[in-house]
Amino acid sequence: MTVQTPIESRSSGIPPWALVLTVLVLAMAGAFVVTNLVGENPPVGIPGASSGPAGSAAPDPDIGQALTESAVPACASCHGPDLGGSGSFPSLHGVADGPVSENLQDLAAEHPDNWAELWIAGEPGGPTDGIDRGGMPVFSEQFSPEQIASIVAYLETLP
Amino acid sequence: MTVNPKVNPKKLRPYDQPPKRRRSLIPSAPDSAAIGFLVAAVLWLALATGIGMLAAYLRFAPFEVIYPLGFFGLNLELNPARVDQAFMNAIVYGWLTNAGFAAATFIAPRLSGRRLVAEPILVLAVLLWNATVFGGIAALYVFDSGANSALTSFPWFVQGGLATGALIVALAFVATVAPAIRSAYVSLWFAGIGLLSLAGLTGLSAAMGLADFIIGLDDAIVALGSLFIGTAVILMWLLPMAYAVLYYLVPLVAGRPLESAGLAALAFVSWLLVAPVASLSLVVDTRIPYFVTSLAGAATIALLLPAALTVVNLVLTVRGRWPLFFGTGPIAFVAVAMAFLIASGMLDAIGTLPSVRAFVGGTDWGRGVLVWNLLGMMTLAALAFIAHALPRLLRRDWGSSRLSAAQLWCVFAGATIAGIALMGAGMAEGSFRAQGADAEALAAGLYGYQLVAFAGFALVALGGLAALVNVFLAYTTGEPADYVVPGQATAAATGH
Repeated sequence: MTVQTPIESRSSGIPPWALVLTVLVLAMAGAFVVTNLVGENPPVGIPGASSGPAGSAAPDPDIGQALTESAVPACASCHGPDLGGSGSFPSLHGVADGPVSENLQDLAAEHPDNWAELWIAGEPGGPTDGIDRGGMPVFSEQFSPEQIASIVAYLETLP
Repeated sequence: MTVNPKVNPKKLRPYDQPPKRRRSLIPSAPDSAAIGFLVAAVLWLALATGIGMLAAYLRFAPFEVIYPLGFFGLNLELNPARVDQAFMNAIVYGWLTNAGFAAATFIAPRLSGRRLVAEPILVLAVLLWNATVFGGIAALYVFDSGANSALTSFPWFVQGGLATGALIVALAFVATVAPAIRSAYVSLWFAGIGLLSLAGLTGLSAAMGLADFIIGLDDAIVALGSLFIGTAVILMWLLPMAYAVLYYLVPLVAGRPLESAGLAALAFVSWLLVAPVASLSLVVDTRIPYFVTSLAGAATIALLLPAALTVVNLVLTVRGRWPLFFGTGPIAFVAVAMAFLIASGMLDAIGTLPSVRAFVGGTDWGRGVLVWNLLGMMTLAALAFIAHALPRLLRRDWGSSRLSAAQLWCVFAGATIAGIALMGAGMAEGSFRAQGADAEALAAGLYGYQLVAFAGFALVALGGLAALVNVFLAYTTGEPADYVVPGQATAAATGH
């Protein structure tokens, strides 16, 4: 078999500057490792994490507030500009004291610790199945459980 | 049709007529697979950049459309998250991967001096790959992708189709170049490892999806696996294909020998050693040892080495023919691609620093760097390949240099603007967070950046449209031109 070499090279050696560059870059990478031996990784963001620190397991009301505005549709578009209720859509103030809507009383009784997370997520096949959502979207398709926990943490700050 | 001059064709009866020439359903002529992949790539470029424009629009003016399909309770849902995923898949698996396959099937016979093995099966692979990607993107608007990131968000059986298509191309490529592999040109090494990596990664993704379907994997495991595969597809498949194209084009178009085979080999080996480790850079979780994360960050920094070695080698190769950099031919595209290669490599390295991560992590910064990688470096390398290869595949010259210039400038300016705007948005968001700004102030502060990013994406889409029109005009009105067909006796003499 004849080996075809249609693209020729001027030289086959490695010039000294390339070796110096290689050593420099490897030294830089080595220094990075040596200076970063101790630390802690944050939990992975689920879903659609683009980098490590993006996700956080601890519910954060500030993140929750941002999520209520970036949600599609935004919470305020139905529950009013200050989330104080609008038309048939109930107020989201006072969530920390329990639900104001009648259709959520049973859910809150059965799941007193996380009824709000379950309601917002609305997972098909979950405990909210069979409850009339009254136009409330299923947010588990947009947000991770951690993000929904942050949204609830924010709502619980509303007086 | 051959006509006997002694016979009056008007008096021929049906059984006297010569048999009609039948066209094969699956063509096996030289370069038929490369033509198929290349045409599909250009169509995907126009479609993907259009989806990118919509995704950028939805970032500052979000809306959602839900349309019930009327069966199995399924809905067609169009929202920012799904359009974003569709954009990533259309760019990576639609545009860049088709262009990569076209490049692999184009350069393999030319550098090995052999006909491409199993050309008819490769033509089937063109159909399989593109039908699968199209189906996968359609599925994104219907099915929930769970904990997967964008590049593993297709259902597992769609990923299986991708793995099959990639495996066919990889095996055909390896079988073609294997007899000459020991002294093969560096482009073949980059392309070969890249193709095998793609087949392995899509296979891994399909296996992970199947396991999740059958036994239900933990969401965190799926998310981590997905982040590794997504990063590796870029670093282990798209990046080496870009290197393969640059190393192939520059010496041929400049008409000069490659400056140093040793430098090219060093670039290949250094990429091969660090890219798999750098693919772990986003695999960050409490259960991953911090040392592994640090090592992945160091590997990301070390990826600058093959980039720098390649750029210096190729610039020295063009030495003395500098005007080529300022025209509208392949070398002009290569020059801009190399600028993006260095810039995005440096930004990736900076992004691994813990303080930078803490400041811009989870913001649009990473997305901006990705835009420079995918729409800047890799897209321009692919356009450089098309500028060189299409006339040789169609045996027609380009019709309009203005359209070529429009492609170059629109993609260059668009990717630059969109990347800077998104990175700016990332830094602004980090700054807002540090000041404790509320969500309203944050949204208002980022609006301008997102508007500029949209303008950048629109420019890139215009460049994609220019590429599509240019290819169409070359096919329909381009002047016929003679080029060597691979596998013929003269192929080795000219190489192109």
